[in-house]
Amino acid sequence: MRLNNSRIPRSDEFIRTNRGTNKFVTTRAVGTLITYALLAIVIALFLFPLVWMFSYAVRSVNLPAPSQLEFFTPPLAFENFARLNEFFPLSQFALNSLRIVAFAVPLTLLTASWAGFAIAQLPPRARNFFLGMSIALMLVPALATWIPRFVLFAQLGWIDSILPVLAPAVMGTNPFFVILFYLAFRRVPREVYESAYLDGANALRIWWSIALPLARPALLAVAILAAAYYWSNYADALLYLRREINYTLPIGVQLLEKAQANNFPLMMAAAVIMVAPVLVLFLFVQPYFLQGKIAERWLK
Amino acid sequence: MRRAFSSRWRLSAYHTQLVLLLAPFVVGTFLLIFVPMTITLALGFTEYDLFSPPRWNDFQNFKNWAADLLFQRALYNSAWFVLIAVPLRVLGALLLAMFLNRSGRAFGVGRAAIYLPTMIPEVAYALIWLLLLNPGFGAVNLLLNALGLPSVGWTLEPFPARVSVTVMWLFQLGEGFVLMLAALQLIPQDVLEVALLDGANRWQRFRYIILPFMVPALLLLTFRDVALSFQGVFVAGLLTTETGPYYTTYFLPHYVYDEAFGLFRYGYASATTSLVYVVTIAIVAGLFFAVRRWRRDDAFE
Repeated sequence: MRLNNSRIPRSDEFIRTNRGTNKFVTTRAVGTLITYALLAIVIALFLFPLVWMFSYAVRSVNLPAPSQLEFFTPPLAFENFARLNEFFPLSQFALNSLRIVAFAVPLTLLTASWAGFAIAQLPPRARNFFLGMSIALMLVPALATWIPRFVLFAQLGWIDSILPVLAPAVMGTNPFFVILFYLAFRRVPREVYESAYLDGANALRIWWSIALPLARPALLAVAILAAAYYWSNYADALLYLRREINYTLPIGVQLLEKAQANNFPLMMAAAVIMVAPVLVLFLFVQPYFLQGKIAERWLK
Repeated sequence: MRRAFSSRWRLSAYHTQLVLLLAPFVVGTFLLIFVPMTITLALGFTEYDLFSPPRWNDFQNFKNWAADLLFQRALYNSAWFVLIAVPLRVLGALLLAMFLNRSGRAFGVGRAAIYLPTMIPEVAYALIWLLLLNPGFGAVNLLLNALGLPSVGWTLEPFPARVSVTVMWLFQLGEGFVLMLAALQLIPQDVLEVALLDGANRWQRFRYIILPFMVPALLLLTFRDVALSFQGVFVAGLLTTETGPYYTTYFLPHYVYDEAFGLFRYGYASATTSLVYVVTIAIVAGLFFAVRRWRRDDAFE
């Protein structure tokens, strides 16, 4: 793997090179070339949908549909973004989405980090039980919870409010977030917690002033994943929100798609509005990908 | 003090505080996942329209499946999708992780690029593909034409519609990719170096060192992906291909949504949901035992 770059040539490879045929060197050069060509293809492939979205979002609605691949065809029509509110109050919907994110993310950070902190310090048997439970819960299809949750929230009179959409934040949103915090808190030596306890601090205090500052990468990662989740959440909004004034951006974008079925430049402009905040969030996590030391940061 | 942190379970003051911190997660998952899941299983045996209390209906929901062609179609579509998409996604995540787990800035860019599509909000993602796959002027067909190939009616014809939703789902393998990357990095490097010095070739290193180390992560990823794939096609099927030509991309979540929230047949929809859940558990359990056996056989080699 990482070894391939700095690998030790096998003895037979040495012999070949020393004889002056240079075969090892040439095969390596060709291999490098193929590797980078493959890499370029992979990057182009995975970025293509996004580039196409950006290119189409500023395409003038007066232009005929393209007959060949062309990016950012002039004249660029930035007014597409201004026109988004003509059909539905998308900026209102975006504010609704932001409000949900603003409530749900802090709550998620609180409950998920509490749970991860507690699980990391429980006796082994209890710890394994809760970890196993978290992994098992990740396998439950959301589908299996739709109907009873709907009935529950209908009984509580919560339909058409943001409360049902926020409710999962109370349980840390996703058991995976709890596991991420557990992995981060586990790396703190137990003696650190113990000495703080001996100095008279309670669990809440130890969590706040010792554990959390040491788990900043996990905090950031969960905040970003949770923000992206609540910003994107479509199914819950579709199930629980009824009046237009409460709609979130995903619902609005879907309405726009139904109303303006073939107006793709406008649709892509709406898609850009949905994707842009997520791309900003991505800027915060991209160092992990660029440095590539995922295991070192998370699992050791 | 020692007692507070001892490995035996004693309810010291500190443990009580820990339990309190754990409470929101435990109570929340109990109320929002465990109880709903159990109620869904129970409602499957009833007729329920939300307005009058559920009534026991003598397994009528399950008998109904035999006559419900739309249900059979959705079940077939979901099974097809999970059987094709999950292996491709797991394999894709593994191969991409093995390819990109190298030092160098270019490979870092590659890793970031692979994760990006996974972060795109699902509605925006569905619309982007609606445009990419447009039979007339979609980028995919324009690309095919540029290569001298004919256009395909991606959202208009049954088989291409299936391929479309599968490809859409393949592009979002970022989570599995990260998991595979982490698992690869946890393989002790000295073991690989020793194998290299012993003259093990690429395939031997993969088969006898990398793969055995990766089994737990691969297994976890496959479990998660089976559960996720039953769910993940909801928005793609709803927005991009809608139900697809001849209901070829009409999946069980969409069917449950229509039955429950369109026709108010909550009991029947619950029975169908339970089926999804039971099938998920069966696949996960089957895989688990298959792999355990495989590993045991391996140990004797």
